[in-house]
Amino acid sequence: MNSDRMLELKFSLLRGAVAILISIGVAAIFIFTVSETPWDALYQLIISPFGNTRQMWNILERMIPLLFTGLAVCVMFSAKQFNLAAEGCVMLGAFVSALIAIYVSMPMGIHPVVAILAGAIVCGLVMLIPSLLQTKFGASVLVSTLMLNFIIQFVIQYFLVHVFADRTQGALMTERFQPTAIIPFIRFETNWGLAVGLVMVVLVSLFLYRTRWGYAIRMVGLNKEFSAYSGMKVAGVIILCQVIGGLLAGMGGGIEMLGYFDRFRWRLLPGYGWNGITIAILAKNNPILVPFAAFFLAYLSRGSMNMAIRTDMPFEMLEIIQAAIFLFFAAEHLMAKTRQKMVVKKAKQEMQSAAKGVDETC
Amino acid sequence: MRTAERTGLTLDIKDKNVVEMRGITMIYPNGIAANQMVDFSVKAGEIHALMGENGAGKSTLMKILMGMERPQEGEIFIGGEKVSLNSAHDAIAKGIGMVHQHFMLVPSLTVAENIVLGIEPKRGGFFFDEKGAVELTRQFSERYSLFVDPDAKIADIPVGMKQKVEILKALVRGAKILILDEPTAVLTARETDELFRQLTLLKEQGFTVIFISHKLAEIKQITDRMTILRSGKSMGVHVTKDTSEQEISRLMVGRDVVLTVEKTQARPTAPVLKVRGLNYTNIWGKQVLKNVSFSVRRGEILGIAGVEGNGQSDLVKVLFNFEIPDSGSVKFEDIETIGKSQAALRRLGVSYIPEDRMVYGASGMANIEENLISDRFTHRRFNTGPFFNTTAIREECNRLIGEFRVLARSRKQRVKMLSGGNIQKVVVAREFSSDPTLIIAEQPTRGIDVGATEFIRKKMVELSSEGKGILLVSADLAEVMEFADSLIVLYGGEIVAYFEDTSSLTDLEMGEYMLGLKKQSEDEIRGAVHE
Repeated sequence: MNSDRMLELKFSLLRGAVAILISIGVAAIFIFTVSETPWDALYQLIISPFGNTRQMWNILERMIPLLFTGLAVCVMFSAKQFNLAAEGCVMLGAFVSALIAIYVSMPMGIHPVVAILAGAIVCGLVMLIPSLLQTKFGASVLVSTLMLNFIIQFVIQYFLVHVFADRTQGALMTERFQPTAIIPFIRFETNWGLAVGLVMVVLVSLFLYRTRWGYAIRMVGLNKEFSAYSGMKVAGVIILCQVIGGLLAGMGGGIEMLGYFDRFRWRLLPGYGWNGITIAILAKNNPILVPFAAFFLAYLSRGSMNMAIRTDMPFEMLEIIQAAIFLFFAAEHLMAKTRQKMVVKKAKQEMQSAAKGVDETC
Repeated sequence: MRTAERTGLTLDIKDKNVVEMRGITMIYPNGIAANQMVDFSVKAGEIHALMGENGAGKSTLMKILMGMERPQEGEIFIGGEKVSLNSAHDAIAKGIGMVHQHFMLVPSLTVAENIVLGIEPKRGGFFFDEKGAVELTRQFSERYSLFVDPDAKIADIPVGMKQKVEILKALVRGAKILILDEPTAVLTARETDELFRQLTLLKEQGFTVIFISHKLAEIKQITDRMTILRSGKSMGVHVTKDTSEQEISRLMVGRDVVLTVEKTQARPTAPVLKVRGLNYTNIWGKQVLKNVSFSVRRGEILGIAGVEGNGQSDLVKVLFNFEIPDSGSVKFEDIETIGKSQAALRRLGVSYIPEDRMVYGASGMANIEENLISDRFTHRRFNTGPFFNTTAIREECNRLIGEFRVLARSRKQRVKMLSGGNIQKVVVAREFSSDPTLIIAEQPTRGIDVGATEFIRKKMVELSSEGKGILLVSADLAEVMEFADSLIVLYGGEIVAYFEDTSSLTDLEMGEYMLGLKKQSEDEIRGAVHE
């Protein structure tokens, strides 16, 4: 790693830490205004998730869908395609996987794999809609995918209510998944989807940084005109990155469904796709950093849960902290002065050593 | 409003330093030390050249003087008084005015409206006094012999007049010190001469001019003294008439640059590119190419000259399929290319060095390696199965960086961190090394330093003698006249002249064609087709 990138990394870490501290500070202000037992609430929020092994495994469990949506958004944002449909794809992938888990019989081991892949593929195909609308007609993906999410949600609701509902149950849900389709646990309620997610982190990193397709995606994201001029098929790249985003998000949905539930019962968008955007921003679109960002969000989520269960603070506190982090990370000029000082210091050192070098040769 | 009388800068301090900058150090957020302990001083009433290669820190130093950047260290004195300049407003108040390379004018407004923009004369304290604006413009225009039409729209006036408007803008705001950033880059020979006459006049009236330029001949012609910057450091102040062109070059780049590239008589063979009857109307409904026909032959450099905005860049855009013409044909080795993708063009062997290097030519946020492989990353030799062959890519990049002498810390350095000349070398390295049959070179040496210019020109001559066809589009008249074997002049989207041999051409003759004063006969122009 050269020294420029070293400095850049150092600064990113410093800035990230500051953003998190400020966000927790913001949360603390709310906690101290609202709560009767503020110190306990803070303890539950920050320390308790590391309290025991079970809690720690629970953080890992919460990470699983976030890994996939984080990766999906990373791939799409790398090409500067602000596609928000990861959210809808999680729900759709989960729904398709659930149907296969219920209505198709297959041997153990193969069943979840087929179910998850089917969900992923359907989502990949669905992503053709916004990407083709964009490349053929210039429709903004930001707008079309925002709406696509709700189309997906209501179409699934329709089918859930009218076609697949288990009438024997009091609440709205499908029939039970076949036991062959369930993803086994590693420990407690953390399933093997975690391992799949971590493997995907490595694969997506290799894809983005070590293959011609990933290179094209990144180049289109950095400079579209340059990419077209160089002879890349920009429209193809724009479609490709969104299809891959759909595959990853759909896969995450399927794994979450078959790893955590026994029936499909989501009536609303689950929210993992929105979190995927936060993760991609925290990870600066770098897949290798996705597990860290996902772990952090999962930790906050567990902490907020503990706080909500054991104190008078509501779970929604999580949203405030996340929003604050989001804000401070997105603020490009946060600590710009500190950065400038670091850069100046380094440049001066270099100037001095260069001058010394000249003296020595004289 | 603020006029010349109010700035309080007296002009009777001849031979005193009217501007003095001491120990200026400026480090940008990207870590580039653009100025390192630079001293710069200008005497009242002189024309002072600020010279240096691209990335030497000229623009930065002038931005500091204009209050647009704040240095980390250093002091600035204007008229002997220490000042702190926090904005362009402060600088203007101190009597400093700048004429930017890219004009800062509103095209839809008139000359007078542009001149008073921000300091408009008012009627009744509220309403814009248009008559007053026109009157003020006329008054200044006559006083300084900078004749402009106050009622004309900026969009309708030629480049030379736009520049006068810019100078007037500065004068009306009370500037006594004028900074001109590469003022001749966009002018014809005739307009340049006129500008120099006006600058001399201004000097006689006691104005001080800071003249930023790369062009040695102009510096010699017009300036009194010069300051030369090299990689952010000052190489001292020199009296122009006592300094030879060779010495200036040496100070700028630290070695003797041969400014003429040796070139033997071209032996053109079969045409590689045939353009026939090309018509093109741009998105604003203006026909910018009219029945353009010519051929580029193997082994020749065909130059396209003309004042900017006469269809050159439109022609190139059509040739590289960024725009689709209304009619006509473009054949590359007898294959029609209109409507084909850029990828297809590149597969056929067309290379292109675009004018706008930071938009098309290079990707600033990507590193050198990523920029060098952008046209060839799908080739089999750079891939093993689904993965990149990183060894092959590394070797290719190191070879190109070495061969094209790109100065960089490593191949992983971001391109935007390089100087202009080195960025262009990255572009050229990629475009020249793809084994092209035809190279379209659009302003290949614009705004880059002497060293890189010489290098790129040498490479072009080398490639043409290897039998490649080169289409050289350049606003630099000296460049097209010296390096092109044959030459086309475009005026108003039409070919107005074709010269099979450029050796006997004079600047004056070219100027007449470029300004539309002369046009060759149909037969002479048809010579460009080679059939």
